[in-house]
Amino acid sequence: MDKDKLAVLAVSESGFIFDPVTGHSYTANATGLKILELLKAGKEPDEIRSVLLDEYDSTEDEVSVDVNDFIENLKKYFLI
Amino acid sequence: MKITVAVSGINTIDNPGPGAGICRALKESGMDIRTIGLAYDALEPGIYLDHIIDKSYIMPYPSGSREAFIERIKDIHSRESIDVIISALDAELPIYMDIEPVLKDIGIKMLIPSKEMFRLRDKLRLKELAEKIGVKAPEYMSCTSLTDLHNAVNELGFPCMVKGPFYEAYKANSPGEAEGYFGKIASAWGYPIIVQKFIQGDEYDVIGCGDGNGSDLGVFAIRKMTITKLGKVWNAVSIRNEKLIEATKRVVKGLSWRGGFEFEVLLEDKTQEIYVLEINPRFPAWVYFPAGCGINLPARMVQLLTGQDYDTHSDYKSGKLMIRYTNELVKDISDFEQISTFGETSEKGE
Repeated sequence: MDKDKLAVLAVSESGFIFDPVTGHSYTANATGLKILELLKAGKEPDEIRSVLLDEYDSTEDEVSVDVNDFIENLKKYFLI
Repeated sequence: MKITVAVSGINTIDNPGPGAGICRALKESGMDIRTIGLAYDALEPGIYLDHIIDKSYIMPYPSGSREAFIERIKDIHSRESIDVIISALDAELPIYMDIEPVLKDIGIKMLIPSKEMFRLRDKLRLKELAEKIGVKAPEYMSCTSLTDLHNAVNELGFPCMVKGPFYEAYKANSPGEAEGYFGKIASAWGYPIIVQKFIQGDEYDVIGCGDGNGSDLGVFAIRKMTITKLGKVWNAVSIRNEKLIEATKRVVKGLSWRGGFEFEVLLEDKTQEIYVLEINPRFPAWVYFPAGCGINLPARMVQLLTGQDYDTHSDYKSGKLMIRYTNELVKDISDFEQISTFGETSEKGE
């Protein structure tokens, strides 16, 4: 994970993400925004799964899939 | 101290010249500057932009007589006492490179590249340039006939880019498409046509200005968000990409670049490697964008040339958006009469 890149990402409360290195912008839903905020706060994927399990009415499998998919998408777009 | 700066490229049309942006940046610099527009046609919109261009003159075409070109500048200089000329058109740079010493003798200063620098940034010498500045160049072949085109597409494969010597670039997916674009570009712009290997990625631009001794007066990078059919940037966002900034500084240092420039690159999606596409040897049409973000390169250039202190920092915010738009002016036919009959506009207020 590129922590330097993660640190410079501009993330607004609305879920709008601006990558100042490439100039690309994205929109994340509320869950994606939560995952990104936790990543920016230095949390590992396992910790993020625990936080989401506590906050959302979802199964462990559902949360794992969501977190993994979202992190893969961030990697695909060179955001982390 | 009032400084008089003459600026060309005031044709703010669908393929806009940088002149109006340069004049706007100068007018907003806080310096006391009189701007003189150097136009080649009586309908260049900049002639009519009284709020940023104080007076305009029609120039003889740079492809014509060198003597007539010099005489016209001397004539304007005798009335305006020009301190600096900022040339903003590729087509006139060769003549300005030739006559710069003559202009210097009569007190007019310019910051433009040397013939060697100008030669090195030619589209047909991209590989040489890329090696010099430590980035990649897409593979390309120069074509002046259909036979050349067929050889090039066989060698480079599909998709490929078919590009004109000055403007226009198309992505071709088949021999038929490549031939169509080849004919279209050749009839508009002539030869050579460049066939370039297609690299999947995004296009970025960096504007800068070199002092001729290997240092820059500031740089500013953007991602093109939308471009016109002629490949001109229409909307853009400012970015902070250190790899790109470092590569740009290597251009300035490696070539000892002198004057304004636009470094056009592509960042490959898969690798994020930088591919150089072109270096334009003058400020681009979006020159006002960095000025609006605190990097006023035309003003810094004038300050350098007139012996004043100038900033060299590149401290600007990423995420600033440039929105270009079209507009209409309502003028009187007498304004057109004045410039087309006398070759110059009236003084403001006359």
